[in-house]
Amino acid sequence: MDVVLLLQRIFDALFNSAIYSSLALALVIIFRSTGLLNFAQGEMATFSAYIAFVLLAGAAPGVTGGGLASWIGAPLVTPLAIGGAVVIGIAAGAATERVLIRPLRNAPELALVNVTIGILLALNSLMGQWWGTGPRVFPPFFPSDPGDHFAIAGARLRFSTAGAWLVLFALLTVLALLLRYTRAGLAFRAVSIDSESAALNGIRVGPTLMYGWALAAGLGAIAANMSANSVLLEPTMMVRVLVYAFAAATLGGLDSPKGALVGGVVIGLSQTLIPAYVPFIGFELSVLPALVAMVVVLIVRPAGLFGTQRIERV
Amino acid sequence: MSDDNWPSPMPRPGDDDETPGADASVFAAFAPPHDAAIAALPDDTTAAESPEEATATAPPEDDDFGPELAGAALSVRSAPQGVPAGGPQAASGVGNRVRGLASAGGADRVVSPRRRSGPLSWIGAVLLAVWLVAMPLTSSVTELRQNTQIVVMVLAVLGVNIATGYGGMISLGHGVFVAVGAFGAAYAVDDLALPWVVSIIAGAAFAGAIGALVGLPALRIKGIHLALVTLGLAIVFQPLAKRVPAFSGGVSGRAVGAELVPPSWFGTTRWAEGLYRYVICLAVVGLAMWLTHNIIKSRPGRAMRAVRDNDTAAAVYGVNLVASRVSTFAASATLAGLAGALGIVLVPFTSQESYPFQESLVLYATAVLGGLGSIWGSVLGVAIREVFSAIGGFLGDVSGLGPLGEFLRLLDEEQFVFGVLLVALTFVFPRGLIGMFNRSKPWLRYGGSRIAESKSLQN
Repeated sequence: MDVVLLLQRIFDALFNSAIYSSLALALVIIFRSTGLLNFAQGEMATFSAYIAFVLLAGAAPGVTGGGLASWIGAPLVTPLAIGGAVVIGIAAGAATERVLIRPLRNAPELALVNVTIGILLALNSLMGQWWGTGPRVFPPFFPSDPGDHFAIAGARLRFSTAGAWLVLFALLTVLALLLRYTRAGLAFRAVSIDSESAALNGIRVGPTLMYGWALAAGLGAIAANMSANSVLLEPTMMVRVLVYAFAAATLGGLDSPKGALVGGVVIGLSQTLIPAYVPFIGFELSVLPALVAMVVVLIVRPAGLFGTQRIERV
Repeated sequence: MSDDNWPSPMPRPGDDDETPGADASVFAAFAPPHDAAIAALPDDTTAAESPEEATATAPPEDDDFGPELAGAALSVRSAPQGVPAGGPQAASGVGNRVRGLASAGGADRVVSPRRRSGPLSWIGAVLLAVWLVAMPLTSSVTELRQNTQIVVMVLAVLGVNIATGYGGMISLGHGVFVAVGAFGAAYAVDDLALPWVVSIIAGAAFAGAIGALVGLPALRIKGIHLALVTLGLAIVFQPLAKRVPAFSGGVSGRAVGAELVPPSWFGTTRWAEGLYRYVICLAVVGLAMWLTHNIIKSRPGRAMRAVRDNDTAAAVYGVNLVASRVSTFAASATLAGLAGALGIVLVPFTSQESYPFQESLVLYATAVLGGLGSIWGSVLGVAIREVFSAIGGFLGDVSGLGPLGEFLRLLDEEQFVFGVLLVALTFVFPRGLIGMFNRSKPWLRYGGSRIAESKSLQN
């Protein structure tokens, strides 16, 4: 086995790992607090990437060089556009919780599945209608010219991969600080552990959950904006990514942030390494191992690697 | 049997909290369920049958076909003679779903909890009948084929409904089974040169077998996690189908060489051919609906719903969980596969291209919009889909309206409309639009603190 090639593949995989970890983290934040799997997480993230695209390039499909840049009179720098899109994504996530999720807090699971699936379908179709179903070129988040890489033991670690991990660690630090040192973070942790007791202690559960949705939407938006350059921006861009992220979250334990991180790395590596060494799988079918992993974990160890065991009262 | 053996008929305040999963609709007739059944066992043979009968007390508004189930409930209720009328009252304390039972005057007389069909259902039935007869007579060959496809779609939606509405297993991936049925039938009729009847059955059976395989994990994976897995299945299907070109035709799909031609006395024109296929498809759909209805009303169907409402309690009452879950999923996949197999009779071509994951989600949305847990709900769902498609097609043609035209064109997007409807109806008609046809309150909101109400899937 070629060690350098293996190392190269691992480096390539790490970029995806970072993306899956962030999206898995977003899923975990929502699952932990509301017990809900947000099937629309991927589409919400893609939508925010499209907003960044519009801020940069203009609203009308096919028109480039317009957008806010033409209003301001100066070219809008990519980080600014992406930052704006992430802020809009965060606001949209909070609004979604307030308008569509909170009224259903006493509703059965099925109603919440319906709502998130409905959002998925509507957003997916809306994006296809507004911006076309074809892929669009999205500016890189990090320098990603052919020469932009570190050479480590003969393999290349691209700047974008290193950058994605830097962003992920920065996000994790911010998240940890928010959860540990702010009042809202304390309230969020309390609600995640036991929302009824939290409510009895005077914590306003609704706004706290909204805070969680905003955090999750922000994480998703950043993940989508980071990956939109390499996978090309299209309405179904995050659909497969969502399966990987769900597999990662399930593997790590759906209520464990640490699990999301570890699961993301494992799934990202397997997504690159399994097709490389198992010819039948190939690139396109690399979703299959992730799905199989998800099913196996759910059957054998529903709590995942780091999740809490669920005890059901009969 | 003396009253001593019968536990206190008064509603116990803690009941709701102690059995959060126990759904009032199935088990409330025994409130408090376990104590009652066990206490009655030693000296009462009728009550000893209660494990059998337990599954019989179905939710009254579960289905719109009729009240037969009340009769089964009756034998249980009447078993302990001399039960004070407080027994039924205890039931009503758990959930108002069983108010029909609770209003019984004596212990051995039960008022049927019949879900009464309102006047709208007569209008709907007439409209449907008129459409089914008038449509083929007024359609061109192409329209006839498209409309037959609509009729066939009922089967796929019914499949989703059986898994999700009756079985309580949320399936977001039924498009996969439709595709597998189509591929299977195409393979049988072309590569194996089997006759059409056998091929269609083979396609459906193959889809059913795959469904049973998918149903196996559903033994452990429940609720929202099963939704996740089936969504993953729908997403993984397209690349997977491309990998088995011998079966699915690979990237480009497969054309079906064989043609279903009517006997010569039926006519030889293209239109007569289309009519022949329409009649066959309609007959198959009708037969499948009738069979489904009978299965739902029989022992496996009652077991299915008992498992949906509370699998632990169902197992305690003697339902084989493995058999029930797997066979439910297999049956629902068989129906979806049948839809796929009939699809290639109508259009002799099939490809994985036609089954993106969105298609599965739209199927699911159709079943939910019509009304889960109701066979006619699936028919209604398909009808709504076509109505919106017609409205969207009309509005989409209106152009030159600027931004408004842009928005109207969006309504032509089936996927967008269904996404929005799915969200909206969850708030407005949580039981699906079929609720409009019954004299219940279709706009019923989710219960506030009633656990039994909020835990049940079919709200």
